[in-house]
Amino acid sequence: MLGEFEYALITTAAGLGENAYGAAIREEIESATGRRCSLGALYTTIERLEKKGLLKTWMGDATPQRGGRSKRMVRVTPKGVQAAKDFYDAVIRVSRKASWVTNRSGSSL
Amino acid sequence: MTNAGWSAVEAVARLLEPAEREVVLGDLAEAGEGVWRALIDVLGLVVRRQAAVWRSWRPWLASFGLALPGSLLLMGLSVSVSQSYQRLIAPAVFTSTGLRLGPGFTLLLCNAVLLLGWSWTGGFVMGSVSRRTLRVSAVLSFLPCLFCLERFRLESISRLCLLLFLPPAIWGVRRGLQLAQIKFKSALLLAVGITALTIPTWGNRGSWIPNWALSWPAWYLVATAARGRISLGDKHWQTN
Repeated sequence: MLGEFEYALITTAAGLGENAYGAAIREEIESATGRRCSLGALYTTIERLEKKGLLKTWMGDATPQRGGRSKRMVRVTPKGVQAAKDFYDAVIRVSRKASWVTNRSGSSL
Repeated sequence: MTNAGWSAVEAVARLLEPAEREVVLGDLAEAGEGVWRALIDVLGLVVRRQAAVWRSWRPWLASFGLALPGSLLLMGLSVSVSQSYQRLIAPAVFTSTGLRLGPGFTLLLCNAVLLLGWSWTGGFVMGSVSRRTLRVSAVLSFLPCLFCLERFRLESISRLCLLLFLPPAIWGVRRGLQLAQIKFKSALLLAVGITALTIPTWGNRGSWIPNWALSWPAWYLVATAARGRISLGDKHWQTN
C-alpha cells in the first residue's frame, strides 16, 4: 500500500500528464496541500516509486527558463495507476463512517 | 537569487550525481527560489542520498574495514621497508666497495612486494566496493597519515617514507573505479602470492591480525572474480 506522500505524488503526476516533471509536480503538491514539499522528499520518493515500477522517469528537454538545464520527466505506469486506485478506495472505505464524511453527506442532501 | 548565493547552491549541488544535479538546479532556477530555501533543499537532498548509500554494508566495509585500519598498518610497513632499505642496501649502493647484499635482503624484498600488493589490492577494493563514498574512504585514509606525519620523528629517515604505500594504493583505487573486478586467474595468483609472502611471519602470533587485515582484499578480489565467472557461466548456459 502507498504512503500518503507517494499517493499525492502519483496522483499529481497523473493529473499533469505529459507535463509531469519535478518542479511542476512540486508546485502542484504545494498548492494542493498547502504544505512545503522539499526537493529531497520529492526526488527520493520519485526514485523509490520508480524502483517499485510505479513510475517511469527520463531526462527531458532543457529550457531557457531553467538556465538550459534538463527536466526529469515522470509518467505513471499502469501498476502505479492501480496502486493509486487501491489507496484511494481504501481511504474511501475507511472514511465511510467518519463524522466529517457523514456530516458532509447529510449537509449535501 | 544573487550570484554568490547561486554559486553556494551550485557548490553544494556538486555533492549530487551529475544528472540529478542538473535537474535540481534547473528546478530551482525555474521556481526562482531564494538562496536559503534553495540551499536547504539541496542540502536536504544530499543528506538523504548519502543516508541511503550508507544503509548498505559496502561503504562501512570500505571506510572502516579497509581505509582506516589499512592506512595505519601500511604506514607501519612503509616505515619498516624504508628502515630495512636504509640498513641493508643504501650503504652497499652508496659506498665505493660495491653492492653486497646481506641475508636480510630477501625479507626486505618480500616486504616491499607485500607493501605493493597489499596497497594495490586494498586500493582496488576501496575503489570498487563503494564508489559513491570514495571521498569519505579517502579522508579516513588520509587522517591517520596526517596524524602520523605530524608526530613521526626519526632522524634516519624522512617522514615521507610513511607514505610509501600511497602511490600503489592510488593506482589500485583508479583501477578499481575503472574495472570493478579483475580476471579470476589474476586475482587468484595475486592472492596466493600475497599469502605466500606472509608465510615467514606465520610463526609470530602478533602478525596474524595485521596480515589478514591487509590480505583479505586480495581474497575478496578472488571471490568477486569467481562470482563473476559463475554468473557469466549461468548466462552462457541459459542462452544455450
